[in-house]
Amino acid sequence: MPIVHEGLKKELEYVTRPGERKHIEEIFERADPFLHDISHNLIMGKQHEVDRLTKEALDKGFAANTVLDDGLIAGMAVVGVKFRDNIIFVPEVLVAARAMKAGMKHLDPILSASGIEPLGTVIMGTVKGDLHDIGKNLCIMMLRGSGFIVYDLGVDTKPEEFIEAVIEHDAHLVGMSALLTTTMPNMGRTIKAFEDAGLRDQVKIMVGGAPVTQEFAEDMGADGYGKDAMACVEKAKELLGIGAVAFPAPAAR
Amino acid sequence: MAFVETMKPRERVLNALARKPVDRPPVSNPTNVATVELMDLTDAPFPDACRDPELNARLAATGYTELGFDSIMPYFTIIQESSALGCDMQWESKDNWPTVRMTRPIWKEPEDVHMPKDFLTHRDNYTILKSISILNKEYGDEVAIIGKAMGPWTLAYHVFGVQNFLLMSIDDPEKTKRCLDRLKEISVVFSNAQIEAGADALTFPDHATGDLVSGEYYRKYLLELHQEMAERIKCPLILHICGSTLDRLDYIAQNHMAYFHFDSKNDPQKMMDIANGRIGLVGNINNPVTLYSKGPEEVRAEVNRCLEAGVNMVAPECAIPLQTKLENLLEIPKAVKDWCKENYETEHYKKSYSQIGAWPA
Repeated sequence: MPIVHEGLKKELEYVTRPGERKHIEEIFERADPFLHDISHNLIMGKQHEVDRLTKEALDKGFAANTVLDDGLIAGMAVVGVKFRDNIIFVPEVLVAARAMKAGMKHLDPILSASGIEPLGTVIMGTVKGDLHDIGKNLCIMMLRGSGFIVYDLGVDTKPEEFIEAVIEHDAHLVGMSALLTTTMPNMGRTIKAFEDAGLRDQVKIMVGGAPVTQEFAEDMGADGYGKDAMACVEKAKELLGIGAVAFPAPAAR
Repeated sequence: MAFVETMKPRERVLNALARKPVDRPPVSNPTNVATVELMDLTDAPFPDACRDPELNARLAATGYTELGFDSIMPYFTIIQESSALGCDMQWESKDNWPTVRMTRPIWKEPEDVHMPKDFLTHRDNYTILKSISILNKEYGDEVAIIGKAMGPWTLAYHVFGVQNFLLMSIDDPEKTKRCLDRLKEISVVFSNAQIEAGADALTFPDHATGDLVSGEYYRKYLLELHQEMAERIKCPLILHICGSTLDRLDYIAQNHMAYFHFDSKNDPQKMMDIANGRIGLVGNINNPVTLYSKGPEEVRAEVNRCLEAGVNMVAPECAIPLQTKLENLLEIPKAVKDWCKENYETEHYKKSYSQIGAWPA
């Protein structure tokens, strides 16, 4: 079904990579036009509208999965592309994330009760000495939205806290974040702690954060680096052998 | 004729800041170069060195006495004022940076912004002021003492919380401007107190970074405020913003400050081209990869890249990881001097450093 929502069509113009454009367009084309409104309001960061429309969608009989994939996550995919390409920045992403949260509050109870098999379990935290959490929280939101179970250790996370959480939750993937060039070396120390604990072969470790680069990730011995929340989801799927499928991946839910 | 240094470090830095000719490009430290090794050397560990003037001065002086930089920076962190304002602090230990617990903000509204009566005498601000006067007495004739005062945008992260403040910037731009307007008074008071204590210049971190906000944000929220700061604070100011700043340098170059301290994410030549003499540039040796985990050879390559581009002062891009090896820091002044020996007779050297003409107003 062609996309008739004018606002959404305009937003799609920001998605310029052909493969990505095709993928996102396909999602919107298969989606009910009612959900286009949710996507567009989410992209614009209108939390009250997303809140109201999500509830209305459920009342109309849309499945929670469908609202999540074709409404909220599809909108966040456009937000992710705009952020990656420097069309929007963190404040604009934060208002979109706030809108997504407003929608998720209606969907979460239904999805949790549905007993769908998660894609995997991820331990996420900001490294020791670093109290920044915006980027980490965006990653967590996108990972959860894509079907992962995420345990959030918060900020200022000691190496042993990462290790304890991996053991406790039988997780095979760890995500570490740092915003400061002064705390980035703590990623390397945490990886070393996993080696010392004899657990390094049992977990994949991905890192990210504004000053972090692929080169730094390799220097520290990480398995993967994600530039933003969208890349974080891709990397998580890749590291767990799920395949680098551009989200949303409805088949996985 | 061989290359010879004819200036004392202080004269070299002050000339560069005033856009006058220099014998060689200065090596500076607008943010911080304290390391664990230097703390051990001076028996002045973090966090005590951030909170005790004597220890602070002892550690700060090593930037000159041990590393051979042309300036001394006694304000190691970005949190002294915020501590004095009442923020919830995490002082950490010797090998970690003290930080503000920004997830526990102290204020919500512009009207909440106020300066406590003991702001300048509070232990953590007093440490900086007293340390500047100690350093000034001991090294003031020899080396430039650079102080540091947080700009209103950085203070806003600390007192309102990063997320709350960024959301406010979208939800209510007028309220955001009122917050910044009130916070700027705090920046001015602490700046002027440092000048009075003997600072030759001030670094002015105001983290409207390209990793968080757009270049348009800088124009919308900070350009006029920074012009006002440059007018009201009577010493050369070095604006520091981390991350990608190419997209906002054109605005930054209009802020009337003396210098901009830029990050390794930005190509030195592109930065010089955009600045085009409207503002001096200092930077941009990469911290986490080059200074922290590579060796002197890689440091030298980055120094040379800056100098080939004509960057006005050479420095690490930001506060360095505390475990950075001294040999890498020592390599910065060494590489600058070696480059000068090889290039001091070139037109590029004369045009960029030794015979620099008047910069555009």
